[in-house]
Amino acid sequence: MTGALRAEWTKLRTDNGTAWILAAICILTVAVGAATAAVTRCGSGGGCAVDPTKVSLTGIEVGQAVVAVLAVLVISGEYSTGMIRVTMTATPRRWMVLAAKAAVLTGLVLAAAVAAVAGSLAAGRLLLAGNGVTVAHAITGPVIRAAAGSVLYLALIGLLALGVATIVRDSAAATGAVLGILYVPPAIALFLGSDPAWQRWVERYTPVNAGLAILNTTGLHDLVISPWAGLGVLAAWAAVALLAAGALLRLRDA
Amino acid sequence: MTITAYRPPQQTGRESFAQSLHAEWTKFSTLRGWAIAVVIAAVLIDVVAVLAPRGDTQCGSGSGAACLAHVPTGPGGEAVNDSYYLASQPLAGNGSITVRVTSLTGMIAQNGGFQGPDSPPPGTMSPGLVPWAKAGIIITDGTRPGAAYAAMMVTGSHGVRMQYDYTSDIAGLSGAAPRWLRLTRDGDVITGYDSADGTHWTEVGQVQLADAGAVAGAVQAGMFATSPLDFTPNFPTYGESGGSTSNSVATGTFDNVGLRGGAPGGRWAGQYVGAGADSNGPQPAGIGFRETGGSAFTVTGSGDIGPVVAGMANSGYDTGTIADHLLGVFIALLIMVVIAAMFITVEYRRGLIRTTLAASPRRGRLLAAKAVVIGAVTFMLGSAAVAVAVIVGGNIAHDSGMYVLPVSWLTQARVILGTGAMLALASVLALSIGTMLRRSVVTVAAVIVAIVLPYILGVSGVLPASAAEWVLRVTPAAGFAIEQSVPQYQQVVGHYGPPDYFPLAPWAGLAVLCLYAAAGFGLAGWLLRRRDA
Amino acid sequence: MEATIAVTGLRKRFGSKLALDGMTFIVRPGQVTGFVGPNGAGKSTTMRVILGLDAPDQGSALISGQPYPRLRRPLSHIGAMLDAAALQPGRTARNHLLWLAHSQGLSGKRVDEVIEQAGLATAARRKAGGFSLGMRQRLGIAAAMLGDPPVLMFDEPFNGMDPEGIVWMRGYLRALAAQGRAVLVSSHLMSELQDAADQLIVAGRGKVIADTSVAELIAAASGDRVTLRTTAGPAAMKVLTRIGATVAVTGSDTLSVTGLASDQVVAQLSEAGVRFSEISAHRATLEEAYMELTRDAVEYRAAFVTEAVR
Repeated sequence: MTGALRAEWTKLRTDNGTAWILAAICILTVAVGAATAAVTRCGSGGGCAVDPTKVSLTGIEVGQAVVAVLAVLVISGEYSTGMIRVTMTATPRRWMVLAAKAAVLTGLVLAAAVAAVAGSLAAGRLLLAGNGVTVAHAITGPVIRAAAGSVLYLALIGLLALGVATIVRDSAAATGAVLGILYVPPAIALFLGSDPAWQRWVERYTPVNAGLAILNTTGLHDLVISPWAGLGVLAAWAAVALLAAGALLRLRDA
Repeated sequence: MTITAYRPPQQTGRESFAQSLHAEWTKFSTLRGWAIAVVIAAVLIDVVAVLAPRGDTQCGSGSGAACLAHVPTGPGGEAVNDSYYLASQPLAGNGSITVRVTSLTGMIAQNGGFQGPDSPPPGTMSPGLVPWAKAGIIITDGTRPGAAYAAMMVTGSHGVRMQYDYTSDIAGLSGAAPRWLRLTRDGDVITGYDSADGTHWTEVGQVQLADAGAVAGAVQAGMFATSPLDFTPNFPTYGESGGSTSNSVATGTFDNVGLRGGAPGGRWAGQYVGAGADSNGPQPAGIGFRETGGSAFTVTGSGDIGPVVAGMANSGYDTGTIADHLLGVFIALLIMVVIAAMFITVEYRRGLIRTTLAASPRRGRLLAAKAVVIGAVTFMLGSAAVAVAVIVGGNIAHDSGMYVLPVSWLTQARVILGTGAMLALASVLALSIGTMLRRSVVTVAAVIVAIVLPYILGVSGVLPASAAEWVLRVTPAAGFAIEQSVPQYQQVVGHYGPPDYFPLAPWAGLAVLCLYAAAGFGLAGWLLRRRDA
Repeated sequence: MEATIAVTGLRKRFGSKLALDGMTFIVRPGQVTGFVGPNGAGKSTTMRVILGLDAPDQGSALISGQPYPRLRRPLSHIGAMLDAAALQPGRTARNHLLWLAHSQGLSGKRVDEVIEQAGLATAARRKAGGFSLGMRQRLGIAAAMLGDPPVLMFDEPFNGMDPEGIVWMRGYLRALAAQGRAVLVSSHLMSELQDAADQLIVAGRGKVIADTSVAELIAAASGDRVTLRTTAGPAAMKVLTRIGATVAVTGSDTLSVTGLASDQVVAQLSEAGVRFSEISAHRATLEEAYMELTRDAVEYRAAFVTEAVR
C-alpha cells in the first residue's frame, strides 16, 4: 500500500496542473465568498437575519466544482492517456489503486480547503462588519463546526467525484456527470415547491443540499436536516460511489 | 526517363463555406452518442414540464380545473384584477368629474394568509394603509370585468397617480390628501388633471379608450376606492417566492364633487365591482359608500384595479407564467454545452485537429462552420422542445387548476424561439471556450461554472437577493431572461423573481449572452489562427 | 505549375529547442522521395509546416508553387497521412472519410472508391476504435488519396504494418510515383526505403544533410567491398594493387578488396591467371550509409557500442 501511495503522490506532485488547481480552489472560494459578503446587508426592519458564517462560506458552492475537476483528472486522465494500464500493472490489486488515489486526493483537498475556508471566513467577517452586519467577535462553537465541516465537505465532494469519475471513465462525460450530480438537484428542489414531500426529500438526501447544512450557524431549528446529519448524508453518497467504483474497477477490463 | 507530372482532372468551383458546413454536420451526425445526447437534453425539457409536481388546487366545488378562477383580461389581453367599490353616474357624452380627496385611510386584516373561498372571514382589522391603496375618480367603460377605464387617484404611499387600462401608471404631483383630481371626457379621449388648490390644474396624462361608449349608456363616471392584498414575502432570499397576504380596505373621503355632462338630476349609485383573482373570498365588512352631506362622500372598497402578477402577491392563489413550464431548460443547457465543448475538444484529444485543419486551412471559417452546426442543432431541438413544454405544461396546469397568466401569440413565440436561441448561443460560447482551452476536463468544468452555475446560484436562493440579481444581470445566465413572458409592474407590489421574472428585460438578457458568445467566438477564432495546431 | 513540394529556409523554435534550422529541399514528381533522419531531426515538424499546421518563424513551404492556406480544396493538391491514430473511436471508418470528403465538396461515391483502393471494403462500416494498427494505416492512406492529389506526404507509413502490408505499401508508393505524382515518405525503416525510394533527403538537427539519389548515396558510402578467397594471396594482391585498389588480408586465405567492382576484380585476376575459389560483393546498405552520414547529427544515442560492420 505504501508503494501505491507514494506512486500516486508522485503522480500528483509532478503534474504542473495540480498546483494551479489547488490554487484555484482557494482563490475561487475566497473570491466568491468575499463578493457575496460585500453585497450582503441586513434586511430591513429590526434584527439581522443574516448568518455571517454561512454568507462568508458561500464560495464553497463554486470551489467544489474545482475540487470535482481535480478528482476527475486524477482518474480519468489515466484512462484517456492509457496510463491506467501501466498503473494497474504496477499495482495489480486494483482496490489499492483506488484507495491510494482517494487518500492522496483527500490530503491535497484538505490542505486547499483549510486555506480556502480560513481565507473566506476572514474576508467575510471583515466585509460584513463593514456593511453593518453584526458579527460576533468570539469564535463560537457553531462557527468552528461550520468551518471544520466545510473542510470535510470539500474532501467528501472530492471523494464522491473520484467515485463517479472512476465509474464513468471518459473524462468529459465524467466531468459533466459529477457537476450534474452536484448542481442539478439543488435547482430541482426549488421547483418542487408544490410538492413539499418531494422537496423535503431532495433537500435532505441529495449530496449538496444535505452537505451544505453544515454551513449554518443560526436558525438551526428551521433547517430541513441537522448539520452533522447532512454531512453524513454526503459521506454516505461518497462511500457508495467509491464502493461501486471499486467493484467496477475490479470487474472491468483496464 | 521523364514521367509527365500527374495532373488530376481540373476541379472547378471555389471552396466554399458550405463545404465546411457539410463536413462539420457529417462529423456531428455520424457520432451517435452526441446526437442522442442532444436529443435527450431537449426531451428532458418536456419530461420536467410533465413531471414537475403541481399541487392540485382544492376548492369548494372540487379540485383541479374546476377551481380555475375566471380571471378577466384587460384591453391589452393581460390578466387583471378589477375589483373596487364604485359610486357613479352614467356619462352619456362629453363631460368631466372633479373631486377633492380629503383623506385616505385603511385597515389591514391581521390574520395573515390568503383568503380562499372557503376561508373564514377575515380576522381583526387594524388600521394600516397598504402602499398602493387607491381612492379617487374613475371613468370606466362599463362595469363588466376587464373594461377599459381611466382613473385619477390618491394612493397610500405613492402620491397622486393616473392609471388607465390596468397596465399604465403615471405619477402626478406628489403629495398626500387633500388633493384635487379631475377627469375630462371628450369623445374617446380622457384626460386626467391634478391640482393642489383646485384652481391651477396640471395635466397628468391622456388616454384614448377604444370603443368607449360603444354600448350606449355604458360609460360610468364616479368615485371609487380599493385596496389590494397586503403582501409580505416570507423569505429574504431571491429564489423563494412564498409570502403571505392579508385583505385590506381603504376609505377615501371626497368633497366638492362635481360632475358635468351627467344626466340632470342624476343620483350617485354605488356598487361593488368585483372580479379578479383576489376576490374569491367574502368581502371585508364596511365596503360601500355614504353621502355625508353636501357633495361629500365616503367610499370604502377592497381589491385592486391592475394587472395580476405571478406568484401569490395579488391573487388569491399561486398564479404562474409560461416560464413555469420551462424549469427543465437548465438541465438541457447543461448537457448541450458539454456536447458543444466536446465537439472541439475531442479533436484535440485525438490529434484529429490536424486532419481537420489540413482539410480546412481557413480556420476562421472552420470555427464558424462548427458554431453554425452546433448552434442550429441546439436551436431547433431546443425551440421544438420548449414549444411542446409550453403547450403540454399549459394543459397540465389547466387540469390541476393552476392559473397561468395569458400572453399573446407573439410573446409565446418570442419565449419559444428565444429560449432556443439562448441554448444555441450558450452552445456557441461553450464551443469557443473549448477552442481556447483545448483540454476536455478543464473545458467542461469551465463551461458549466461559467454558464450553468450562475443560473443555479441566481435562482436557488443560495445568494442574497442583491448578489443573485447581479449574477443574473452580468453572467451568461442573463440569457434566461428571455423566458420572462409578463412585465414587472411598478404599480403592483409583488415578488419579482425567477422563474417568472428576471432582473433584465427579455431581449436585454439575451443580448448579454449574445455579447459573451460573440466575444468568446472572436477570441477563439483569433487564438485558433495564431496557434500551431 | 508542376506538382512539387518546395521547402525553403525553414526556421522554427519551440521554446528553447531549435527544431528547424534552415530546412531546404524540393520534392519532385514521378519519384518516391524518402525523408529520413534521427529522432528529433525535424521531420514531423517540417511536414506540419508544409500543411500549414505550424507556422515557421522564417522561411516558406510551397505546394505546387502556393502556400498551403491559399490552396482551394487543399486535399486535391496534397494528401497527407501524419498520424494514423488521429481518429474518433466512435465513428465508423466510412464516416470518417465521409466528413473529410464533404469538406472538399466530394461525395460518398468517391469515399467508396478510395475504400476499395485501400483494401478496407470489409471494415468500412466498423467503428474506427476497433481497428488494428495496420488497418488504421490503410485508412490514413485512403484519406490521403481522397482528393486524388498530385502530391502525397506520408509520415512513417510502414509503422505497425505486417510483412504483407509492407510489401503492399512498397508497391503502392512506387505505383503512385509511376503515375507522375510527387511522393514524400518519412521513415526509419531503411531497408524499406532502399527498395521504395529513388531520392533521399537526409535531415539532421533541423537541416538537410544530404539530398541525393539512393544509388549515389550508397555508392558514396565507403562500405563497397569485394571479399576474395584464394590460395594465391600475394599474387592477387600484386595484381589488384597495381590497378589502384586497396587490398587487406582478412584471413589465412581471404582478402578484402575496396575500390573495385567485383566484375573488374574477376577480369583482372583472370587476365593475370590468378586462381580464386570464391568471390562475393558486399554492397553498403542504405542503413550503413545513413549511419555514417548522420553520426554527428544523432541527438539521442543509447550507450551501447554499435554493432561492428561485418
